[in-house]
Amino acid sequence: MLESFYLTGWGAFGMMLFMLVPFMAVFFYVVISKSYGDSSPSKAPQSSFVKMERAWIGLVIVVFVAVNIASIDFMPTTATAKAMASGEKLTEVSFTAESWSYDITETKIEVGKPIRFSGKSLDTMHGFAVYHPDGKVLFTMMLMPGLEGPTSLVHTFKDAGTYTVRCLEYCGNSHHEMRDELVVVAAGS
Amino acid sequence: MLAATKILQRLPFFNRMFGVDAEDGLQEINSWPALMIASSFIWLAVAGLLGVAMPLIQRFDLGSELFYMALTAHGAALAFPFSFQLMAGISLHRAGGCVGKPITGVLPALIFICMNLGAALLTVAILLGFSVSLVVMYPLPVVGVANGQWSFNTLVLGFTGIALVLTMMIYLYPVQLLKMMFFGKKREDLILSERTLDDPGMLGMVIAALVLIVMGTPLMIIASYVLVALYGIIPLDVVAWATKPVVFQFAFFTFAHNLMEAMALMVISGIYATLPLYLADGTRELYSKRLANAALWILLITSFSSFFHHFITLLPNLPASLAYHGNIMSWGTGIGAALSIFTILATIWKHGLRKEPGIMIALMGFVIYVMDGASALVTSNVAWSFQLHGTMWQSGHTMTVLIAMSMMWIGVLYHHYPVLTGRTLSAKQGNWFMVLFTAGALGAGLVMLAGGAAGMPRRFADWAQGGWAVYGDLILVTGLLMAVGLIILAANFMKSRKLDEVPGSASAPEAAE
Repeated sequence: MLESFYLTGWGAFGMMLFMLVPFMAVFFYVVISKSYGDSSPSKAPQSSFVKMERAWIGLVIVVFVAVNIASIDFMPTTATAKAMASGEKLTEVSFTAESWSYDITETKIEVGKPIRFSGKSLDTMHGFAVYHPDGKVLFTMMLMPGLEGPTSLVHTFKDAGTYTVRCLEYCGNSHHEMRDELVVVAAGS
Repeated sequence: MLAATKILQRLPFFNRMFGVDAEDGLQEINSWPALMIASSFIWLAVAGLLGVAMPLIQRFDLGSELFYMALTAHGAALAFPFSFQLMAGISLHRAGGCVGKPITGVLPALIFICMNLGAALLTVAILLGFSVSLVVMYPLPVVGVANGQWSFNTLVLGFTGIALVLTMMIYLYPVQLLKMMFFGKKREDLILSERTLDDPGMLGMVIAALVLIVMGTPLMIIASYVLVALYGIIPLDVVAWATKPVVFQFAFFTFAHNLMEAMALMVISGIYATLPLYLADGTRELYSKRLANAALWILLITSFSSFFHHFITLLPNLPASLAYHGNIMSWGTGIGAALSIFTILATIWKHGLRKEPGIMIALMGFVIYVMDGASALVTSNVAWSFQLHGTMWQSGHTMTVLIAMSMMWIGVLYHHYPVLTGRTLSAKQGNWFMVLFTAGALGAGLVMLAGGAAGMPRRFADWAQGGWAVYGDLILVTGLLMAVGLIILAANFMKSRKLDEVPGSASAPEAAE
C-alpha cells in the first residue's frame, strides 16, 4: 500500500488532498461563521487558544515527520542500495540525449532484473522519464550537459510491456517529439 | 505634477482605473505605485489571453512553435511584469504610507522603466522565436542558436530584456524599499498608518527585500558576465566558467526559488497588516505577533536552501544528502505556513470579521496559496519528486503560487484603492470577482496537479499524445472562469466612483487607517 502511495503521482495527489481538504473545511467554516454568521468576539479564554495552538503545531510536526521518514524507503537511493546489497548483478543501460532523440545502449529488458540507467545530455537540459504502459510515470531523471558523471538510478521492472520514454525537461521546439521505447519482456524470453 | 501622474493621465482606460488625484497631497506615495499597478494589469491582460490561447492552440492544432511561443510569453508576462510589478506597486505604496516617505526621484522611475522595457524586449524576442520557457532552461538559449531555432541577435535581445527585469527585481525595487524603511526624513503629511519593524506587516517587507538582494546577486554576476560577452565586450572564453550549465542553473534556481519565497514573505506581511483592520470588534490586533513573526522567520530560514528540491532528479550529481536536505527544508516552510494559518484563523475566530470584499479576496487568495503550499511540499519529497518532476504538477504549482499571491495583492489593493485613487469600488462586483476567480484558480490548480499526477508533461505541445487533452480542456474552462472574474474586476475599476460622490464613504476602509 505504501508503495502505491509513494511511487505514483496519484499517491502524491492524495497526500496533497489530505492536507488541503481539512484545511479548507476549517478555513471556510471559521471565515463564513465569523463574518456572515455571528461576528461577535469569541468568549473562549486565551488559554484555550494556546492549547489549540500547541496541539496544531504538534499535529503538523508529527504528520510532516511521519510522511517524510516513511518515504525514505521509496527513495531511488534506497532502491539502489537494496539492489546492490542483494548481490544480484546489475544490468547496465546507458543512454545519451541530444535534441531531440535518445541513443540507448539496450532497449530490451527483462522483468525482475535490476537495471542501472545512466544517462548524459550532449547539448541542453533533457529528461528521461519512463512511462508504464498504463500511462503512469515510473521515474524521471534530469540530464544536465557538462557534468562529469551521468545521472543514474536503479529500477526493477515488474510488468512486461512496451514502456515509453519521454523528455520532461523543455528543450526547444520539438521537445514533445523527443521519445523512445523500452521493451520489457518476461524473464528468460 | 509627477511624471508618473502625467503618464497615467495619458493611458487610455487605465487612467480611468488607476489615475491618481493630483490635488490630494498624497501624489508622492501614490503616483509611481499607481503607474506600476496599471502596467501590471496591462501585462495581466496579455498573460491571460495567452493562457487561454494555449489550450486552444492544441485543440485546433495550430502548431507546436506557436504553442511554445505562447507558453514562454504567458509565463514571462505573468511572473514578472504582472505579478512582481503588482507586488512592487502595492508594497511601495504601503511602505510609503506606513513610514511617511515619498516614492519620488530617479529610483522609482528606473524601477518602472527596467521592468516594463525589459519585459517588452523579452516579449519581442519571444515573438521572434526565442521560446525558452519561463525559467530559460539554460543552456537552451545558446543551443537554440546553434541548431537554428532562433538567431544570435534574438538571443542577445532576450537576454538584455531578462537582465533589465532582473536588475529591477534584485536591486532597484529592494533598494527603494530599504531606503524608505531606514533612510530619509519622515514626513507626517504622508503617514497614513504609522508602523514600525516590530509589526509583522513591516518585518516581512524588509526580510523579503534583503532576500532578493542576497540571493539574487550571484545570478546577477553570472548573467552580467554572460551578457557582456554576448555583446562582444569581453571574449566568451573569459566567461567560460559562467556559461557552464551547472553554474548558471544553480545560480538561477537559488534566486528563482527564493524570489517566490520573498514574494510570499511580502504578501503574507501584507495580509498580517490588512486583516486586523477588518476585525469586527475593532481591536486591530493579530492573535499573536510572536506567532506571526515566528512564521516569517521560519519561512525565511527554511527557504534559503530548500531550492535543492529543483535538482532532486539529477541524482547522483546532486548528492542524496542535499536532495534530502532540500526535502526537509521545503517541509520546514510548511511549518511556517502552519503558523500563518493558525494566526489568521485564530485572529478571525477571536475577534470576528467584517465581510468586506477586499479582505475576503485576500483570504481566498490565502486559500489558494495553501493549496499551492501543499502541492509544493509533496513535490519536494524525494520519493514523489521522481514521479512528478517535469510534469504538469510543477506548472500547476508555479501558476497557483503566482495566482494566489496576486489575488492576495488584489485584496490588499482593494483596501488601498480609495487612498490611491480617491475613488471607491463596488462591493457587489468585488464579491463576484472573488467567487469566480477563486473557483477558477482552485479548479485550474487542481486540474493541473491532477494532470501531473496522471503523467501529463509540462511545457509540452502535444497533450493528445498520452490522452491528456481532457486536462487541457478543463484548464481552458477554469481559465475562462478566471478571465470572467478579471473582466468584472476591470469593470469595477472602470466604474469606480469618487469618494465624495458616495454616501457614507467616510467609513470606507481607508478611513480606518
